[in-house]
Amino acid sequence: MSCKWGRIAEYALGDLLEEYSTGRRSRLWVCRQVLSAILPVVNFKLEGPMFSAFWNDIRYAARALAKNPGFAVVAILALALGIGVNAGIFTVLNGAVLKELPTPGANQLVSIYQELRGKIERHVLGSDSMFSTAEYEDYRDHNHVFTGLAAYAPFVQATLGGERPQELWGQLTSCNYFDVLNEPPALGRVFTASDCAAPGASGVVVISDALWRSRFGGDANIVGGKVILNRHLFTVAGVAQPGFTGTEVMAAQFWAPFSMQGALSPAFDFYGGNWSWLTLIGRSKPGVSLELVRADLAVIAARIDASQPNRSTRLDVFRATLLGMPEERQATSIVGGLCVAGAAMVLLIACANVANLLLARAAGRQHEIAIRLSVGATRWRLIRQLLTESMLIALAGGGLGCLLAFPAFSAIVRVIEEHLPHGSPILTFNVAPDWRVLVYALILTFATGIVFGLAPALRASRPIVSGALARRTGGSLLRQALVGVQVAVCMVLLVAAGLLLHGLWVAQTVDPGFSMKNIATVSFGLEGQGYTTERAAAFQRQLRQRLEAAPGVEIVSESRSTPLGDEYNGTQFTIQGEAEPRNVQINWVSPEYFSVIGLPILRGRNFTKTEAETGAPVAILTESTARHFWPAQDPLGKTLRDSDGKRELEVVGVAKDAQVAKIGYSDTIYVYLAPGPKQQTRMQWMVRYTAGFGPTATAIRGAVASLDPDLLVDVQPLEANLDLWRSISRIVASLAGSLGALALLLASIGIYGVVAFAVSRRVREIGIRMALGADGGDVRNLILRQAMVPVVLGGLIGIGGCAAVSQLLSSMLFGVSTYDPMTFIGVPLTLLGVALFASYVPARRAVRIDPMVALRYE
Amino acid sequence: MAILELLYYAEHMREHLGEFEQIVLLALLRLGENAYGVPVRREIEQRTGRSLTVGALYRTLDRLEEKGYVSSRLGDPVRERGGRAKRYFRVEALGLRSLRQTQRELAAMWEGIDLKKAHHVL
Repeated sequence: MSCKWGRIAEYALGDLLEEYSTGRRSRLWVCRQVLSAILPVVNFKLEGPMFSAFWNDIRYAARALAKNPGFAVVAILALALGIGVNAGIFTVLNGAVLKELPTPGANQLVSIYQELRGKIERHVLGSDSMFSTAEYEDYRDHNHVFTGLAAYAPFVQATLGGERPQELWGQLTSCNYFDVLNEPPALGRVFTASDCAAPGASGVVVISDALWRSRFGGDANIVGGKVILNRHLFTVAGVAQPGFTGTEVMAAQFWAPFSMQGALSPAFDFYGGNWSWLTLIGRSKPGVSLELVRADLAVIAARIDASQPNRSTRLDVFRATLLGMPEERQATSIVGGLCVAGAAMVLLIACANVANLLLARAAGRQHEIAIRLSVGATRWRLIRQLLTESMLIALAGGGLGCLLAFPAFSAIVRVIEEHLPHGSPILTFNVAPDWRVLVYALILTFATGIVFGLAPALRASRPIVSGALARRTGGSLLRQALVGVQVAVCMVLLVAAGLLLHGLWVAQTVDPGFSMKNIATVSFGLEGQGYTTERAAAFQRQLRQRLEAAPGVEIVSESRSTPLGDEYNGTQFTIQGEAEPRNVQINWVSPEYFSVIGLPILRGRNFTKTEAETGAPVAILTESTARHFWPAQDPLGKTLRDSDGKRELEVVGVAKDAQVAKIGYSDTIYVYLAPGPKQQTRMQWMVRYTAGFGPTATAIRGAVASLDPDLLVDVQPLEANLDLWRSISRIVASLAGSLGALALLLASIGIYGVVAFAVSRRVREIGIRMALGADGGDVRNLILRQAMVPVVLGGLIGIGGCAAVSQLLSSMLFGVSTYDPMTFIGVPLTLLGVALFASYVPARRAVRIDPMVALRYE
Repeated sequence: MAILELLYYAEHMREHLGEFEQIVLLALLRLGENAYGVPVRREIEQRTGRSLTVGALYRTLDRLEEKGYVSSRLGDPVRERGGRAKRYFRVEALGLRSLRQTQRELAAMWEGIDLKKAHHVL
């Protein structure tokens, strides 16, 4: 029988695919067809015994909840908080990682990355998962699965010249980029074959709608007009559709054919050289599955591997989303996973809360349940009825939570986007809920209803035993267990929040081990402005003279990246006597660098002026790096071989450890190198001043303008480098703190509710005790002691969970220990205090009971 | 063999075609050699105005095949169907006879009925 239904399902599925892939039917129609095959309720006729029983259950549940509005409101609000937070977080993750690109036919777009294994010589711009031009052309010309395969280099910076020079972010793309994406221009045209015929052939550019409006006033005459990008003349071929900003989270403001790479970034030949610099995106042919795409491309990858010794490629092929790069996806998965876990814990606490409320309510309905059982209702009927009530509460809570969460999280994302640090690119995030979010919310709501409703329903529907036995039931044990669960989960969330908040405090207040005060950073992109190496070297020499002569300037230095800046440069060095290379972070610096930021050279010497000017093969290590490479040895005089194997660098000095690479970490493997002429197109300046930042910045801009009036220069206080770290930690800590606070609120309400309920059940007992001579303090302490048992047990279990969580967070703590004593002692004490307070209030009420009244209490 | 067929036929003649089974058989007759799930469903929806689920259609076709009224054959796998083959149906002799029988019965019941003059007995 099951084989027969399996065959029918296969044929039916084939029909559905045929209807959908040929465009005759919508996705919604397909979903309805599938549901109608597996869920009789979709084609449910509104008649018959099954439907009337279902409808009766709903009516009864609604009446029961209406009779108890206080309980219903509290339960719905608790679930709204829990489900809303989960749905909101999923909406953000969906927008970043799961949602298809906001372009027509996006379900056919496929992103491709690669992982290269083996000894391969390759330069990297962006990510080593990208492709070279030659590899792209191979995949483009030899695949059988795409109607078109495009390539683009994301994150291209250029200066838009004119009266107000402006820094832009754009992309270099293949000619068919807009065709593959099915994005015709709003004005003008996109690239044609002649635009990409040869490197440097045709300086055309397509600009974004936002740039067209903000910079060119929405003037239609811009098409065919000229703009200056990195001092090269480009013709504006067209304006993209409103809302189209490329296929990355970072919004692109312009697109140029990648044959124009030499004009925009002349320092290196990415286009013709052995560089990983392109991301691939293809539109699969109708009916071609992802598996077929992977299989077809794997054949090409194998052929490329065979042509190069020791090379092996693993392709990463998936439906295109805004976050495509493997590194981005990995980071988002980790952070996203933690957020989802945290939100799930809050929901768990809310479920435990509502379950406790249901248990308490069921205790008051024993009479009603007994009557129903006695007139013939089956236990299953009762359970179904009680579960229907739970589902109604869950649906109401889920609906309310989603209604509140979607606009709230949209607003939060907008606020974060608007408050990103200076110099950050524009991000594009579509967090509007789609069918995935609604399905997730629906599944979560139903699962929540089952989780909190099942145990109380099973408990409440048990046949009533004799009165004496009924008092000592497992009901109170279950309630206490639920309190324990809430406390354990709350403890984990609060410890995570505490660690992250401590990390935030460190980020805000830490002494990074070098001076950041009264230092200005000066940055400009010479290589994008048409500067050759020689011209850049001459420019920097002249600029140094003018900066040193400027009023209020104490000392100036050059460096490729500034301390805690967002530019990262890494390479591999091989230590003499070892075969395996080591990854290191590097920075090219002039000799004054260490004096400007007050970083002493502890051993050996600084670079000489000549070494810095010529780029001599010398290196200065940090203390940690020296210890790491040559433990218990003198590193001076030792050599490092660079990744090309062509140069040997001699270690001439050891500088003090400082947090130059990452806040909170002074033990990064970090090597300083002498710059030389090749680095001059990308060097930045640091200027220590006495005159105040404003006048110094004016003097600096004046000095630069006197040498090159069209050069766009950015002058910032060095302390601004901390902004990026602080903003990241603020976002993460705020989220964790909010979840922790929410968890604490729900848990304390839960504890209060359970203790209050327990007191109400023991009124007679309390009356008897007080009548027999117990004073108020004794009664109060008894209740408190018994209330704190599950709290303490849950707290101890929670501490165990905290140890695991803290390891997961270690990379976000800015050097705070994963077993930070302040957090691991402070949080349990805080939780204990809150639990005590939540128990104290009903306990205090208990001692005010008049014994005479209590003895007559039913 | 003829006797067996006759006995088999006689057995099945006692089972009357359901209304939807008739409609499906007639759709198969209309479509001829190209009768598989998608055009059959489309033919029925266009002519009768009914909305029809894929599952209901295939359950009926399967039942008709079990009764011997239709037979099926598999076509080649097709890319648009995710590599799945089409299942073509044709009406067999037993199915044709059953349709004729049903047509005769319905014609006999309809004979002389004028819906405009028909009245209800309360």
